[in-house]
Order: sequence, then C-alpha cells, then structure tokens
Amino acid sequence: MSEMGTIKDMPANDMFVSGHGACPGCGMAVAVKNIMRILGADTTVYVPASCLVVISAMYPTSSFRTPFLFTAFENTGAVTTGIRAAQRRRGLRSTVVGLAGDGGTFDIGLQALSGAAERNEDILYVCLDNEGFMNTGIQRSGATPFGAWTTTTPVGKKVEGKREFKKDIMAIVAAHDPPYAASLSIAHYNDFIKKVEKAKSKQGFRFLHVLTPCVPGWRSDSSMTVEIARLAVETGMWTLYEVEDGNARTTYKPKAMLPVTDYLKLQGRFRHMEDADIAQLQEWLCAKWYLHYGDEIEQPVCAMLEKGKRMRYPHEEQLHFV
Amino acid sequence: MSVKVISGDHAVAYAAKLARTEVVPAFPITPQTLIVERLAEFINDGELDADFIPADSEHSAMSIAIGASAGGVRAFTATSSQGLALMHEMLYAVPQCRLPIVMANVNRSLGAAAGIWVEHNDSMAERDSGWLQVYVEDNQEALDATLMAFRLAEDRRVLLPVMVCLDGFILSHTVERVEVPGQEEVDRFLPRFEPCTVLDPAEPKLINPIVPPEYAMEMRYQLDRAVDRSREVIAEVDAGFGKAFGRSYGGLLDTYRLEDADFALLTLGTATGLARAAVDELRSEGKRAGLIKLRFMRPFPFQGLREKAEGLKALGVLDRSVSFNGGGPVYTEVAAALCNVPTIVTGHVAGIGGRDIAPDHMREMFALVERAARGERVRPVTWHGLRGEME
Amino acid sequence: MGIALYEVRFHGRGGQGAVMAAQTLAEAAVIEGMHAQAFPYFGAERRGAPVTAFARIDERKISIKSQVYEPDLLVVLDETLLDVEPVARGLKADGRAVINTRRLPTEIDLGVEVECATVPATTIAMEHLKAPIVNTAILGAVVRMCALVSMESMREAIESRFGEKFGEAAARTNVAAAAMAYQQAAVGRCKGERPLSSREEWLPTWQEVPIGVALGEGVKGGVTVGPGGARRNLTGSWRVQTPRYDKGKCVRCLRCWFSCPEGCIKREEDDYVRWDLNYCKGCGICAQVCPAKAIAIIKGGQG
Repeated sequence: MSEMGTIKDMPANDMFVSGHGACPGCGMAVAVKNIMRILGADTTVYVPASCLVVISAMYPTSSFRTPFLFTAFENTGAVTTGIRAAQRRRGLRSTVVGLAGDGGTFDIGLQALSGAAERNEDILYVCLDNEGFMNTGIQRSGATPFGAWTTTTPVGKKVEGKREFKKDIMAIVAAHDPPYAASLSIAHYNDFIKKVEKAKSKQGFRFLHVLTPCVPGWRSDSSMTVEIARLAVETGMWTLYEVEDGNARTTYKPKAMLPVTDYLKLQGRFRHMEDADIAQLQEWLCAKWYLHYGDEIEQPVCAMLEKGKRMRYPHEEQLHFV
Repeated sequence: MSVKVISGDHAVAYAAKLARTEVVPAFPITPQTLIVERLAEFINDGELDADFIPADSEHSAMSIAIGASAGGVRAFTATSSQGLALMHEMLYAVPQCRLPIVMANVNRSLGAAAGIWVEHNDSMAERDSGWLQVYVEDNQEALDATLMAFRLAEDRRVLLPVMVCLDGFILSHTVERVEVPGQEEVDRFLPRFEPCTVLDPAEPKLINPIVPPEYAMEMRYQLDRAVDRSREVIAEVDAGFGKAFGRSYGGLLDTYRLEDADFALLTLGTATGLARAAVDELRSEGKRAGLIKLRFMRPFPFQGLREKAEGLKALGVLDRSVSFNGGGPVYTEVAAALCNVPTIVTGHVAGIGGRDIAPDHMREMFALVERAARGERVRPVTWHGLRGEME
Repeated sequence: MGIALYEVRFHGRGGQGAVMAAQTLAEAAVIEGMHAQAFPYFGAERRGAPVTAFARIDERKISIKSQVYEPDLLVVLDETLLDVEPVARGLKADGRAVINTRRLPTEIDLGVEVECATVPATTIAMEHLKAPIVNTAILGAVVRMCALVSMESMREAIESRFGEKFGEAAARTNVAAAAMAYQQAAVGRCKGERPLSSREEWLPTWQEVPIGVALGEGVKGGVTVGPGGARRNLTGSWRVQTPRYDKGKCVRCLRCWFSCPEGCIKREEDDYVRWDLNYCKGCGICAQVCPAKAIAIIKGGQG
C-alpha cells in the first residue's frame, strides 16, 4: 500500500458501517470510523466495556465488518495479547486492535495495558478519550480535565467540579518504551491519517491516544465536535506528538497559544468555572505548552502567569522530546 | 510410556505438554507455581512448542486464554485460591462463548484467616460459572484427568471449559509414582484442536456483543443443556481413556465396596484415599460400609447419585469447604439430589484451612453415618476435628 | 380522586426527557395521595434513539413491576416515532393519547382511534427552556387530557423534581412550559388507520441460537445479522435537522466525509460527496467543517 498522507489517500471502504447507535455528533464514532478505514479488512477488533461496544455491537448485529470480540472492561491489553498469539500461531497477519475508552485505559484497564506494553505484544491499542465514564452516564475518570463537571464531580456549594488534573497516560505508556505511541486529534486530518498508518505498519506494541469530544458528556453542540477537538490543540489542552523508539517528536505546533477559555466556553461542563480555577488550569497548560513546544516564543497568555514558564512539568524526564 | 516420581503439579504440567498446549498465559500463586514453572521449562527447552505469556495478573491470564481460544488455539492455564477469585469475572465469559479452555486449580483456602493450604472454597465458589469441574484423588489421576479434560472440553457436543481441581500441597507438592504416557499414544487419544468459532478476518465473526433480553435467556438455557449433556461425553471419554491407557475412573463418580452397603460416605479430592482405607477397616469388622467418590461437581451427577444411593440407609457427605450456616456445598447438592429418596443424608465438614484429615476423623464420620443408618438422630452437619463443642 | 390501576406508556427519544416525564407524573399522583411508580425500559441506546418509559398510578399500593403492555394513556414525545415503531400497540380501546405535534388530533393517525390531545411541545420547550426537552410541556397536556392529577399537583411535582436536579430557575421555566401546554393543547379524536405491525425480528428458540454468542454475516428470520449487520438500523429517523449540499460550491476537500460520525457521507469517484440520509442523524458537523460553506443545515428531518 502506498503511504497515506491526506484524506484523499484514504480507502473509502468502510469497515465500521452506518447504523450504529452513537449520539449525533459523537467524536468517538468519527475516530473509530477513520481508524477502521485505514486499518482495513485484515483487522481483528476487541472492544472492552465502553460506549463503543454498546453503540456498535448489540446482538444480533455489529457495525464492525471485521471479526469482533467483547468480554469485560479492564482486559483490553490481555485479550488482544491472546488473540494475537493465536493468530500468529495460525499464520495470520491480521492487525489486532483494542479500541478502549479512557476509563478502560487510564483507570480500570491500566494494569493489563501496562502488561501488554511491557511484554511488547504485537498489538495496536487505541484509547478513545472522551474524558470520562460516559457509557455509565458521565462519571469522572483519570482522564477528566481539571475543573470539569461530571456526575461524580458535581458543581456543589463547597466543591466545584474535578479538583485533579488529567492523568498523563502517554507519559505512562512512553515509560514502557514501546515501538510507537502517538496522540491524535480528529480535527487534524493528515496528522491523524499518518499516525494510524504508521501504527498499522509497525510491529510490537503500538498506542494511539485520540481525543474524542462527547456531546452529552461535555455538554456541547453536536455540530462543534470537530471544532472543539481543534481548539483543544490550539489551546494546548491536547498536544499532537509521537514517541517512536524512545524519541518524542512534536508533529503539529500551533502558531500561537489560544487562551484556554476559547476551549472552555464551548462546553457546558466548564460553564461554572471561576477565574481562580481557570487561572490554575491555564498555568498547568503553560507548563505543558513549554515542555512540548519550547519557550523561545513567549506566549502572551502565559506571560501573564509568572510561575507558568518555570514550573517543572512532572514527566520531563520520561518524554525525551527531540 | 515412562514411570516418573513426580508431584501433582508436575503431573498436570506433563499432561498440558502432552496435550500440545499452544498458549500458556500464567501468573504465579502458591501452590500452583510448580505447574507453570515446569511448562516454562518445557517451552524454553524446546520440548513444547507453545507461547508462554507471563500475565500481569490472573484476571489477565484468563483474558489472554480467552483471546487465544477465540483466536483458535489450545489454551491452558493454572491458578489457585485468590488467583481464581481474581479470575472470577472472566471465568463467566468462557462457557457462554463455548471456549474449551482447560485450567488446573490447585485448591487452597480463600479470603481472610488466609493460608496457603488446601480448602475447596476457592473452586466451589465458581460452581455456577458454567465450567465443568473435576476433583482428583492422586497424582496419576491429576495427569489423566487433565488429558481427558482437553478431549472433553473440545468435543463438539461439549465445547465447554474444564477446571481440574487438585488439593494444594497434598497433591501439588507430594511426589508419587506416575505413569506418563508417550506422545504418540496421547496424539491418538487427543486429536488436533479444531476450533468451532475463530476470530479470522477471512471469515468475520461477531463474538459476544451486548446481548439484550430478547436473546440472553435462550442462550443461558442452551448452556444449561450443554453442561447437562456433557455427562454422556464424560462417560465416553473415560471409557476411551481406559481403552487407550488402561486406567479409567468411573466418569462422573466412582464407588468403592458400595454394592451391599448399608451406609456410605461421599468424598471428593484426596480425602477419598483415606476413606477407602476406613471402608476396608469397617468391612473387616463386618460392617457394611461403602464409599462414593464424587469426581465431577459440574455437571453434578443427580441421576447417578440417586441410583447409587438406592439401598443405602444413610449417606454422609464430606465437605472440605463451608457454605456458611448451611453445611458444605457438596452436602447441599447431594441432599438436593436425594430429596425424594429415603436415604438419610448427613454433612461432615473437615480439613478446613489445610488441617489434616486424620484417620480418626474419618472413623468418626463413618461412625456417625452408621448411627444415622441405624435410625439414630444425628446432627445434620458435623464439623470434625473442631476444638470446642459445636453449638 | 379515586382511581383503579391506571397505566401510562411514554415514547420519546433519548434526550427528550421521557423518563423524567414519567417520574414527574408519578410524583404528582403521590402528591394527590395516590400510589405511583415510574421506570424506564432499561435499554442502552443513546441520545436521539427511541426510548420508552412507564408509569402506574393506583389508589392502592402497586405490586406489579412488569412493563406496561396495555396502557390506559399513551404519551408520545416525538411524533416521528409513529412512523418508526408501532407506538400505539396495546393501547386500550377506551384509552387516551397525548402527542407532541403542531397538528390537530383529527390530523393524526395513531393506529387506534381514541380521545387525544395534541400540543406543540417542542415549540413551547424551545421558547421556555431554549432546548427541545419536551417532557414538562407534554405533562401540561397530559393534565389537560385526563384530569388524572390536578395542574396544582403537577406544578408541585415539577418544582420538586426539576428544582432538586437543576435549580429553582429551571423549576420555574419548566412550570411555565407545562402551564402553556395546558392552555394550548387541542383535544379531539385521532384516527386509527395505520397498521400496528412490529418490525421484523429474528427471535430464535434456544435450539436455534448459534452457540458461543457468535454470528457470521448472514440473514436470519429475514433479518441481517452478524458483522456489518448494524446497517439495518436506519438511524436517519433520529434526525431533526438535515444537511443540504451545494455541489457548485464544493471544493472536494473531503473534510465532511472524514468528519461524519455516521459514515453516511459517501465519497464519489471524483471526490464529490452525497448523503445517505437513511443514516444521517443531523449532527451538523459536516456543515461546520466545510471550508467552502457548501453545506447548510435545514430544520426538519426530511431530506
């Protein structure tokens, strides 16, 4: 297959077909549909408990035209290991992909993920990150960002929204030194396509982390799903990079950092946030921004925050950006 | 065939090797470790062509086994106690997906007041999972039952996972004389694994999506029937094994000197051997004692038990585990099986937490059953070897 | 007032608040001193997908927990459901119906001819709540239709349930929506001409279900099953707004094709696109990502 770089290079043969039950404007469906287009027919899919299994695989039908298996929530790294071992022994080359949510990856599935990454299993692990346990009705996960409302981080009289920052799953995966790990955005098409293609072509443990805006969970307008993903990158809430054989590389650098409020204001889950909390989130973002993109260019929104630039980002040692 | 002096764990490992297991996911737990260590050695020495996958937990080990089995290869794993409990969630996926995984469970006590010693409460807690369960008496049976487990599990009429249960330390770490069959003999007995449903992009299958209420009940009844029908195949496999290797075990249950017995004890696991000696002793005293050896807890031999119990005035049931305030799980099952026959059923709890079941305990049990057979009132359930009077 | 067992079935779409409507009706009945229960059909579908909820009201304690098969009252929160499902199945001959529609009862073919109230609940909800959450508006019409509970009790129930969950302001606007619906509801008799056939389903016996919870591609009992079989779910019926494509403006960038969650935008040989509206849920992403403004979103679910 020739190397894909743009939308026009993508195969038009849908392996994740219409008729699924996702909410209108579901970011996860956008990601899965395109990942499956690129992975193609020679793919075996494992989906743990998640929105995806519910919307795509309800007996007696499925939206996946490929082989499909579901069993439980926390075992994506393990079941895919077993499938791949069997297929290798049977002489099949099929890409074995696990399509897990952030809850199934950051939280309950972290152990099996770590096991598979450490053993360098020949599987593709995709984390579809909608920043919460959305299937069960919008509960907080380790991926939920600071300040966000969820049903388990309600906006109360005493405490408003989530008080912890998002867990850095990419750094955790990178610490296992896998052949390939990358973060993707559904709004950055060519970057998305190249990374899925690269992950497909490599051997060993591969990890793709996709931000997938969730209309009911983020309380956003269904038409804004892709725009919100774009703004996540432009504000630094999401960073596009890849870690290949131990080297981290930024794959897309925004021209200038937009204030985080540009991102927050489109989502009802942040509507309650007060200035102090927004400033705290912005400060955290500035530290992350300089880690990823360097500090030669002073970002006006960060210059206002004295500490931002000098704050030590917690995973500097693990991510060796080049 | 070769004769070896090996532990129960190693006997199981030899069986898994002779079965040409292809994927062995494993996580260590005492007293199961000798099984997976030996298999790792076989694989690293090139004696077994299989993938040894060191899982991050028993939950993952069973998940890997599920992936491998659904991927179309023969999968074997082994565990014990807390490990089995951690697998609990995944155990339930296997029978309904009809994946013929074979697993050894080295029985060990579960939960607090924890120890590493034998008790059956770990595997008894999984008896409603849909797994077939066989309990073995000695190391030879451990090897033979494991080999038969593959044949049984993979039979197209069965397609169910099988758990081979062996008593921790009493078998796992005890060496005995064991006849290890040759590879060619085993190959004749156990054909190559032909999976029924495979995850293969050449012929895409949707396996285990979410199942709404319109379908799940029919699936569950189908599984119930499959577990029940496995009884016939168990008898057939046992007979076939006997023909091939000269040893057979009676299928679901076996008996010892039961023909004209007035009273008997029902045992499973290693306690059976001691009970045989007790029966001999009582017979030498002119007492009509007998023994039923329960091999399979699932499928449970409801019908077979009713037939065997005919003519028995009383049947005692030994449990090496407790179903709190109800005696032991085997007792309640046997009592249910015999609810419409006149035989009196008594429960006997012994050997809890690895406490040795001594010959005196065994004599005490038979004595109680004998009294019940004479029409005396005895406790429904008695704990043997307990310090302090029972309430 | 004293009544014998009265059963209500609500039909709506995920996000319209059918479950809250059932709960609020139950609460209003309890306020009037009756016994009541409300529960959803516990499905796993999503926003926009058809959902069902139930309520029971009785003077005495209610022990039944099964679903409602022969409702006394049918509440339809989304009139497009009439074309998708046999909504009125089991509705008693002397039963009643409340339907969210701009049309009059005589213009509605429910499939069973009964006393019926119609109300433009979506318009009322948009006016008061700025969102198509029609549950409180429809409840105003329910009170009007069957005098099961008084408007006073309904107001109290709405204040209690909505106030507790969304705050006082929300309680006030929802009460206002219900009051307006009570005023605007039109009562008459609907038509009963539509056949109430269920859609085709494959319901195998236990002997027929393939073993292992496994299915290959195929057709069973007239129904497509297995991998890719989800194509039989025509999710376009969820749509309340529809894309309109101006091919003359299209620059063939394919961003809409990439960004459509449904995969209902089809790519032609020349990289122009077309829509398979059988599946379009009307999310509006295609119009939002189009750099040439070649796609507009038009109100309504028609193509």
